[in-house]
Amino acid sequence: MSWLSRQFSTRVLVLIPIAIAINIVLGYTVQTVLKLPIYLDSIGTILVGVLAGPIAGAVTGAAANLIWQYAPGIGGGSIGPFAITAAVIGFMAGLWGYLGVYRPRPASGARLWGAVVIGVAIILLLASRIYNNPAYTDPNIGGYPDWVFTAAIVIAVVASLSVAAFILIRRDAAGAWVAAAGALTGIVAAIVSAPIAAYVFGGVTGSGTDILVAALRQGGADVYNASLGQGLFSDPIDKTITSFVVFIILASLSSRVLARFPLGERLVRPDTAS
Amino acid sequence: MQPSDARRTPPDFVQPIPTGPYRGLNPTTKLVIAVAEALVAFTVRGWTGPLAVLLVLATTAVAARLGRRLVPFVIATVPLTASILLVNTFLFPGATDVILRIGPFTPTWSGLEAALQATLRVMAFAMSVAVLVLTTRPDELVADLERRGAPRGVTFVIGATVRTIPRVVQRAGEITDAQRARGLDTQGRLWRRVRGVLPLAAPLIFGSLNEVEELTMALEARAFSAAGRRTTLRVFPDGTGQRQLRWAAALLTAALIVLSIAGRLAFLP
Repeated sequence: MSWLSRQFSTRVLVLIPIAIAINIVLGYTVQTVLKLPIYLDSIGTILVGVLAGPIAGAVTGAAANLIWQYAPGIGGGSIGPFAITAAVIGFMAGLWGYLGVYRPRPASGARLWGAVVIGVAIILLLASRIYNNPAYTDPNIGGYPDWVFTAAIVIAVVASLSVAAFILIRRDAAGAWVAAAGALTGIVAAIVSAPIAAYVFGGVTGSGTDILVAALRQGGADVYNASLGQGLFSDPIDKTITSFVVFIILASLSSRVLARFPLGERLVRPDTAS
Repeated sequence: MQPSDARRTPPDFVQPIPTGPYRGLNPTTKLVIAVAEALVAFTVRGWTGPLAVLLVLATTAVAARLGRRLVPFVIATVPLTASILLVNTFLFPGATDVILRIGPFTPTWSGLEAALQATLRVMAFAMSVAVLVLTTRPDELVADLERRGAPRGVTFVIGATVRTIPRVVQRAGEITDAQRARGLDTQGRLWRRVRGVLPLAAPLIFGSLNEVEELTMALEARAFSAAGRRTTLRVFPDGTGQRQLRWAAALLTAALIVLSIAGRLAFLP
């Protein structure tokens, strides 16, 4: 039980409402004010998971979606039932934090380039898994339109170039780990979301991604596979970007601030932790 | 934090305790009813679940005299319900009972039926949220849960989140205005808007995170993590009838979910 209560220190309890507010306000701003086709509504969830642990992250994710649904003024929409997805995202972020994925790893020379190669390889591997997934190629299940494949290649190339640039410019091998963690979180999020979208909302959620669902349905996919196809498309991209945003936030905070959180010692550089 | 806000509305703890039909119920009763309505609308498939829930909601909304204040909540569901109706009616997998052919589009009856049922589910869910939100203030709910012995962490997170969101929204607005005054383009092409994310997000996040330390110290100085229960200032009326109503709603919902998963409710239309 001490393992559990350690995740909910007063500092974490104060962070959770602020993290939820960041989720909601930033998600709302990015989607409505700037009108961009990404969500960025799980930055706070991943931040709490990484700083405090899996259970705190899961609680933050679930509470964010439920409070968003019921909050006066900004409530409504279809966000509530996806509390399960948000909880899984927060839980996974806690595991990554526990494993030290977000700890800066200064590198140079061969190790830096090795990280670049690993990071790019992970992105391309994930992309090829989606590209070759029977759900996308088997005419009995999927049979998606051709542009889906073109878009998948373009996104994979852009994502791997960004990861490579990020690692090289910051001279920090942790970029490869963060990319992999974000992409894996996105895939799991997509797998968890698909049955919710299919069962609760008939496959659509009232956002811009519904066009993708409609295109997949046009290609003959059933409700569940269309939702899954859309999710496997949007979620890894969104969660990889979000993970990098959280990584940059953590890197900008001082070790003194980080070390006060339950998982703080796993987030600061070994040479500054002494 | 914001003196102008404090002057506009009196603090939560001096607000009168609501009275009248439905509004006067204990906050926890209203929460249990709202959650039960949402779960029944989603788990009892077909027409029966959503329509039964909507009937209950209409009765309570009339009793509480909510009237036109429900309209914004209905409008908020339009993007979702329009999407559900279009995608399902025109692109329902495996449906062959075509209504009519309009060029490449073939709406189907089974698609339309599924779409209408999903729309009713969403409407029932949205109305359950609306009736709870319009009859119960968050601080009333939090105060009542705390009186019932809910852990302090839980009540603090709910209450603090509801109070933090408007403050962060206000801060986001101030940051947007400040950056626009310095030439930030929030209406141009995609790439310009992408470049706008950082100058908006960074001050928002770091400003908020700076508050964590101050708030933690302030709470600890006021014995936030001290053991024992605190006395509550406001006590909301409760009674045996309401307790039985809560248990009945919870047990009925649980039974319906189990029956629905077991496939025993398939006889319902």
